[in-house]
Amino acid sequence: MVSVLKRSLAIITLLIIGYWIAQAFAGVPFGQDKMLVGQYYLNNVKAQTGAVNAVTAVVVNYRGFDTLGEVTVLFIASTGVGALLWKRKKERTARTEGSIVLTTGTRYLFPFVLIFGAYIFIHGHLTPGGGFPGGATIATGFLLLYMAFIVYEIPHKGFEVAEGLVGMGYVIVGLIGLMIGGYFLFDWIWQTWQLGTNNIGRLLSGGFIPVIYTIIGLKVGTELSGIIDNMIKEEVRE
Amino acid sequence: MNGQYAALIIALPLVSAFFVPVIKAISKKAVMPFLLLVTLAQVGIAGWVFNEVYTSDKPIIVMAGGWRPPVGINLYIGHFAALFVLIIAVISFFMAYFSIKAVKVEPLDKYAMLFLLLMLGATGMIATGDIFNLFVFMEITAITAYALTAYNKTGEAAEASMKYMILGGIGSSFFLIGIALIYGATGTLNMAQIAQLAGNINPTVAQVGLALLIFGLAVEAELFPLNAWAPDAYQAAPHPITVMFSAFVVKAGLYAAARLLYLMQAVSTWHSVLRLLVIMAVLTVVVAEFSALRQRDVKRMIAYSSISQVGMIAFALALGSQAGVDAGVFHMVNHAIVKALLFLGVGYVGIKLGGTTLEDFEGLGRRMPLTAFAITVGSLSAVGIPLFNIFWSKVRIMLAGVSAGYTWGVALILGASVVEAVYYLRLIHRIWFAGGGERLSESFALGAIMLFLVALILVIGFYPNYAWSLAQKAGADIFDVTRYVSNVPLMGVGA
Repeated sequence: MVSVLKRSLAIITLLIIGYWIAQAFAGVPFGQDKMLVGQYYLNNVKAQTGAVNAVTAVVVNYRGFDTLGEVTVLFIASTGVGALLWKRKKERTARTEGSIVLTTGTRYLFPFVLIFGAYIFIHGHLTPGGGFPGGATIATGFLLLYMAFIVYEIPHKGFEVAEGLVGMGYVIVGLIGLMIGGYFLFDWIWQTWQLGTNNIGRLLSGGFIPVIYTIIGLKVGTELSGIIDNMIKEEVRE
Repeated sequence: MNGQYAALIIALPLVSAFFVPVIKAISKKAVMPFLLLVTLAQVGIAGWVFNEVYTSDKPIIVMAGGWRPPVGINLYIGHFAALFVLIIAVISFFMAYFSIKAVKVEPLDKYAMLFLLLMLGATGMIATGDIFNLFVFMEITAITAYALTAYNKTGEAAEASMKYMILGGIGSSFFLIGIALIYGATGTLNMAQIAQLAGNINPTVAQVGLALLIFGLAVEAELFPLNAWAPDAYQAAPHPITVMFSAFVVKAGLYAAARLLYLMQAVSTWHSVLRLLVIMAVLTVVVAEFSALRQRDVKRMIAYSSISQVGMIAFALALGSQAGVDAGVFHMVNHAIVKALLFLGVGYVGIKLGGTTLEDFEGLGRRMPLTAFAITVGSLSAVGIPLFNIFWSKVRIMLAGVSAGYTWGVALILGASVVEAVYYLRLIHRIWFAGGGERLSESFALGAIMLFLVALILVIGFYPNYAWSLAQKAGADIFDVTRYVSNVPLMGVGA
């Protein structure tokens, strides 16, 4: 009986909180033009950043500081997994190889998956996508290898170093901006050097956006592959 | 030097954390000295920023990407942020050294990375001037804290981390919904512009939005009823990390809550949110003090004591008066010093004697006299004995509470402080008047750190004026929203 009482009390509390929050959402003018900052982005995005994809321009350039933080969050996730699943010696323990469809398919598809992932992050300033989905696509390629072959392992030492180096690359791009333009994460390629100003809408434009998205793509790709590697292997006693 | 270089307080820990895997590939032994070096450099940068802000009396506005707010993200390093970035850096430096002695569990390279990122997250939370950026830094802080809580890889640690993760996840989602509401109502994420527009928001939306933000931060700020994770996490985390949690991670949450609270003071339903926070704060104090009394483990007992002090700070910050905010900031500084000292001492005992139960402390006065002395000074100060630093900030909080009309709150907090005196005196009694044993050798450098903190406690205790004037400037930075808004070079989008 007590548990029924407790449960109904919890449900009633939830309903009250839910009603309160719903009341608040009813007061927000959704769908109306509330674009204080948004309109500014739309009006100035091409001239100021050289990107045709306004979302990318906001993510990497106008609010690039947030993106640096998000990259860090993913880095922490992979570091945390690495720290908590650390064992002195780890090996793969899977016993059955993938079916012939999987192994053959993986063998032929793997390079194309990598190329497609790279395509997504290189064209981030032109088409939907960018570093995060591109990197995730690359990691999918490595996941396929893990599923198809029982002996496959990524070179995880190399991946770890690469992950660190590209992460440093992002901050260093920001610091170069600080030195050239006077602001951290300043887009010196577009605003100081004015590279690609006649090229808007083509690959070589968008200032440092393609550079940063390549960094993010590589970083996310190596990080997610590292997480897979950490989770799939098990401890072996020597 | 150009003020924009203050961005280094974020860039340096970040680039160093990314550099750790490279260092490890070269030499595993170099990782911990590297950590020490980076935190020392951070102290240097933070010292420069502090000096710059306090001599020019103007905040440093760092504009990321060169975009003026609200189009871009800005950091607002005012008097409060400058002071606390320095405190964070100094404590991290001490703890980097303590980590070399205290942390033996592998993998140390990952530990060093997470350590740097925890410092980065708290620094960012305190320095940022953009509400979504605040969320990003809060996530950085929280996720590193989950990982570090579980770092010892014992069953207890895993359980504590799981609890923390679930509560933290709920808190983050609250916070995100709060941001969505406020962004939906104002169309901006910049804190200064939100403060400008706060008066025009529909009062229900503003009230719910603000309450959700505060509730989200209450997990990090360890306010009742969202602090159930804290004692477990404090106990299970490696000793240096416990010091960092108590000395500045919780402060970052408290500061963020206070900052958002005062930014929205134009909202007509503001006082109801204040009252909610005062009630939560008083409950935090009372519940934590009585829980502390029952503990047999000293580290856990001090964890509860830390939570109760945090409740006191939240009480002061939620009074809605200049005096209250000043007193709260003063208490934040004092609490950071005292709890850093106490957790450092207790952690050192834990390493030397293999445990932190009350029994382990019997005869500590004979076995580790220096550490015992440090813990005693810390305990006396925490109780609020006159001529120790916490006495002054507690008095200020009580006075501010009474003048703001919360006499009942002050009475409850005073009652709880008596409980605090009981368990701290019990600890001191155990240390000096029970048991005995062989004298153990104590580390010279750790002793020096402890004596430095003891000296700070006594100096502030005897001459509180300088610290109080710092706290007043930092408090005005939070309380005086008009000046905050006028200091941010908003570009007038849509206004």
